[in-house]
Amino acid sequence: MMLPEHPFTKGNAMREFLLRLRRSEDAASPPHAWLGALGGAGLLVLSVVFIIGGIKLGVGVPRRLGTGAFPVITGIALALLSVAIILSDLRDTRDAETPDWISFAAIGASLAIFAVVSDHLGLMPAVFLAVVVASLPDPSLRLSGKLILGAIISLGCWGLFIGLLDLPFQAFKGV
Amino acid sequence: MDIFASFGHGLLVAMQPENLLYCFIGVFLGTFIGVLPGIGSMAPISMILPLSFYLEPTSALVMIAGVYYGAEYGGSIASILMNIPGTPSSSITCIDGYPMAREGRAGIALFTSAIASFGGGMIGMVVMAVLAPALASLALNFGPAEYFAVILLGLVAASAVSNGSPVKGVAMVVAGLMLGTVGVDITTGAERFTMGIPELRDGVNLVVVAMGLFGVGELIVSIKANASGAHQTDIDYKQFYPSRAEWKSIFNPILRGGAIGSFFGALPGTGQTVASAVAYAVEKKLSRNRGNFGKGAIEGVAVPESANNSATQTAFIPTLTLGVPGSASMALVIGALMIHGITPGPRLLVEHADLFWGLVASFLIGNVMLLVLNIPMIGLWVRLLQIPYKYMYPTIIVLICMGVYSVNNNVFDIWLTLAFGWAGYLMRLFRFEPAPLLIGFVLGPMMEEQLRRAMLLSRGDPTVFLTRPISGVLIVITIGLLAYSCVSALRARRHQRGALRSAE
Repeated sequence: MMLPEHPFTKGNAMREFLLRLRRSEDAASPPHAWLGALGGAGLLVLSVVFIIGGIKLGVGVPRRLGTGAFPVITGIALALLSVAIILSDLRDTRDAETPDWISFAAIGASLAIFAVVSDHLGLMPAVFLAVVVASLPDPSLRLSGKLILGAIISLGCWGLFIGLLDLPFQAFKGV
Repeated sequence: MDIFASFGHGLLVAMQPENLLYCFIGVFLGTFIGVLPGIGSMAPISMILPLSFYLEPTSALVMIAGVYYGAEYGGSIASILMNIPGTPSSSITCIDGYPMAREGRAGIALFTSAIASFGGGMIGMVVMAVLAPALASLALNFGPAEYFAVILLGLVAASAVSNGSPVKGVAMVVAGLMLGTVGVDITTGAERFTMGIPELRDGVNLVVVAMGLFGVGELIVSIKANASGAHQTDIDYKQFYPSRAEWKSIFNPILRGGAIGSFFGALPGTGQTVASAVAYAVEKKLSRNRGNFGKGAIEGVAVPESANNSATQTAFIPTLTLGVPGSASMALVIGALMIHGITPGPRLLVEHADLFWGLVASFLIGNVMLLVLNIPMIGLWVRLLQIPYKYMYPTIIVLICMGVYSVNNNVFDIWLTLAFGWAGYLMRLFRFEPAPLLIGFVLGPMMEEQLRRAMLLSRGDPTVFLTRPISGVLIVITIGLLAYSCVSALRARRHQRGALRSAE
């Protein structure tokens, strides 16, 4: 992966840190495909939960299938499939994709912040903060740029969703 | 003559100002997202889904369909100019489109792709108008056992034929079926797997699942993929229209591509990508110009574009007449209709003739709009490719949040979207496909209901699925398909291992 080189401005430690983090992530060798077996193991846990939950709900009789029948049937099918997945992924020798944990965390944080802030402070601050946090993983945009982008998008959202579409959003809450 | 009368009626429906507006919004948004590399039509469809709840069902369907085929037009632009497919199905267009652009014939390639998409779309529309009523009248005799078997076949086809491991695909479908059981059981009224959370009593919201798995999940993948920045080719707009000889050479390929595309589009599980790949391979065998394929042959642009666009139209045939979606996008179409209280199936053509024929006619209107958007206005999309992605993706994430929030005015849905988004990313990392999960999720409740009904009618005898002729045949086909895809996956893996060994 190529990132454009940027001359570091003084005091922009954040960007330097991010660029370094990106490079070390890119330099790390890709994880092995057996990571996929973790996915299979997760599905196996899920299927057990559904089988037990389904039995507790009651499977009924063939003529009148109970609430739990379908979860149990699908749970058994998934359990068998996930065992097959675990076995085949453990034998897989190819490399898996390189994960991008920075973007993974930033996008998650952005959604979480939107959820918390829109509930307590209203839409405008929520959009602003969500944009700023989501754009953090991109080192090519300065912090001032991220702030301006956040301001523009929150104004745009206000115009579109409250001004134009008249949706029941509150721009600011409890202020 | 009946078809013409119905189509004329549909045209009147589609020409209503409101439907024209939403058709335009749909195709515009579809092209917009299609142009952006890495984001398929799923993300925009799930983003407009909440908006469609406020619309008339016909307007909603016309808009969603517009996004779906608009993305196919847009997808080829990035393929031709940057050698990066904007949508998965336009990857075949890269093979000849990009070499054409490098020869300085980008304009002609873009024009050809637009006109071929239009031709393919029209072929697909005619096939849909003729075939859908016939299939619907056949399906009118279906009972619960047949429906169960058709859904099962659709699910297996959609998962096992997808690229990647068939076992993982089927596992995703089953996980989707399980996810569909969350909430209150409609038959008994008992709560299932809600963990005491009141928001889950109505089940997991379709918008949340789709936005999380496709919107958020794809976005996380695309950040790194697009960070390197777009490289541009200059387009000579004077050289935009093909010569008479070029027109002649693309005419038959468009017809063939459209025919192959409409066949694969109507089959569950194959869809546009397979359609364009097969059409390209067939054309390469048939063409007199085959030596030039891969080096900038104009037929190589026309054929896959015609095929993938006709496949987007015929994909609606099984979706609307049987209620069995062939792809995740079509599953969202079913979800959108059910939210409006319309159950897709053979009765849809009779009970909601306006909706069906309005949609068919909107294909004509939407494709004409796309022709205008993609030929005189091509410069707009080329400029869009120059906008750095760092400005795009934070905007998209906010639109996802707003869309999810607007469904129920409920923050819980955003937290759930976050969970599905992370799950979608991890699934891609571990080579699981999220599309079958969504299809299973949409069809799960329907499948369970048909299973219960069939078992009740047969007094608890499960052999009913095999003894009734139509369902028996469908089950046998399903098992055959499953066996075939497992064998071919094993063979592919053995082949790969052999290749690795010889490389060492």
